[in-house]
Amino acid sequence: MTAPTRLARPRVEVPGSVDEAVRRLAELGPDGAALAGGTWLMRSPAPPATFVALHRIAELRGVAAGTWGALTTHAELAAAPLPPALRALRTAARTSAFPQVRNVATLGGNLNARGFAEADLVPALLALDATVEVATTAGRHRIGVEGYLRSAHGDSADPAALLVSAGASAPAGRRSGYARLTVRGGGEYALVSVAISADLDGAGVASAVRVAVGSVEARARRCPEAEAALAGTTLDEAAARAAGQAAAAVLTPRDDLLAPGWYRLEVLPAVFARAAADCLTDPATDHDTGEAP
Amino acid sequence: MNYRLTVNGRAAEVDVPGGTPLSDVLRDHLHLRGTKVSCGTGRCGSCTVRLGDRAVASCLLPVALAEAEPVTTVEGLSAPDGPLHPVQEAMVSCHGVQCGACTPGMVMTLSTFLDTTADPDAGQVREALTGNLCRCTGYHTIVDAALTAAAATRTPREDRP
Ligand SMILES: Cc1cc2nc3c(=O)[nH]c(=O)nc-3n(C[C@H](O)[C@H](O)[C@H](O)COP(=O)(O)OP(=O)(O)OC[C@H]3O[C@@H](n4cnc5c(N)ncnc54)[C@H](O)[C@@H]3O)c2cc1C
Ligand code: FES
Ligand code: FES
Repeated sequence: MTAPTRLARPRVEVPGSVDEAVRRLAELGPDGAALAGGTWLMRSPAPPATFVALHRIAELRGVAAGTWGALTTHAELAAAPLPPALRALRTAARTSAFPQVRNVATLGGNLNARGFAEADLVPALLALDATVEVATTAGRHRIGVEGYLRSAHGDSADPAALLVSAGASAPAGRRSGYARLTVRGGGEYALVSVAISADLDGAGVASAVRVAVGSVEARARRCPEAEAALAGTTLDEAAARAAGQAAAAVLTPRDDLLAPGWYRLEVLPAVFARAAADCLTDPATDHDTGEAP
Repeated sequence: MNYRLTVNGRAAEVDVPGGTPLSDVLRDHLHLRGTKVSCGTGRCGSCTVRLGDRAVASCLLPVALAEAEPVTTVEGLSAPDGPLHPVQEAMVSCHGVQCGACTPGMVMTLSTFLDTTADPDAGQVREALTGNLCRCTGYHTIVDAALTAAAATRTPREDRP
């Protein structure tokens, strides 16, 4: 007797190097996809016939100062001793999803999950002005995360482009923070997510402000109006709320089953205030446990 | 394709496509039906198993990614003839089980969590359980069970009341 027929499951290839993975992805085209943790791909209603698994490629692992391999998990980022300048990334990783997903889901998967408005690491990396190293059949290059996202999620995306790592600098005096709002206490996609980075002078006055808002529109994006509203302030609550209002005035919110668009705009000032407070958290008194609130 | 796994300390070999979820391999090929599949989309936690020292949702984990580290399912948590794991014992004594559909996942999540957090407070337990849904208990008794198990683990077995 044969076992009952189940869904056709993809076969998995296991290349040993970035070059080999890129070559196979180029050959497979639309019939292949890079497999990192699989928490996104395994839910795809129409997966490709072949997964090109990345887990044996040592180069994609590891966290060095300010650089994270594409296979770094949300849990590893949450536990990484990141400086205050990079706090937004840690908070985003720590508060995303829940343990079973954070333990497996990767940075590379988060940046490359298509049609995922709520990807938590994306606004954090946008605010941190991160760059990514990308491998293609034409070789390697490093570009800004904003440009990378535009091409990776565009209609003419290169199916063989592999994200190798992401990195961001952490100058002294820079602070960053992140906040998200969910319907229940945690374990859900964010309705709104806000990442803020700013350089604070001796008096705590902000310059070089970068703000990114996720979950509200179809894709996370920078918000220059909110950046202008925060520049020259001390990231105090009133300033953060005003910046949230400035963002709400220019964003075009999505409706979905979790929340109507108007609600997302309504709560933006409050989430801005929390993100600003996260920026100002004193690392010396920050005894959180690495688990999501 | 043949995959070699270590499940509950034993070697196992299965011939399936590498994109097959680990939960299917455990249940349909290795006949370990303690691991429950409820949502199949990573959200409910009933399929939680341990991979190395991590709690993972086995319904989302392609078997090809499970070769490198040992897998522990609820069947492997205590020996068939041995005492229950402290978390299992506490789930019974604190009435943390009603229909039981979520229980294996709860037990795997909590036993993994308590290995790294020996003395948690209720808030930390709730955080650890954000990926495990229960439709019956309302969670309070499960949180009690976790705290009871943590206390029991800190107290040697012979000193327990
Ligand atoms: C129940 C549940 C809850 C979740 N909650 C959240 C949440 O709150 N916040 C959040 O941000 N996410 C959440 N996720 C979504 C998501 O799965 C993860 O964010 C994740 O980071 C995906 O990583 P992965 O390694 O599992 O990706 P995979 O599924 O392996 O891959 C995702 C996509 O990226 C591509 N890819 C992977 N690695 C690379 C690479 N190096 N280069 C190029 N392309 C690559 C793949 O081909 C695929 O298209 C949730 C997922 C589940 C199942
Ligand atoms: S069955 Fe795997 S999380 Fe629900
Ligand atoms: S006991 Fe029924 S779902 Fe938890």
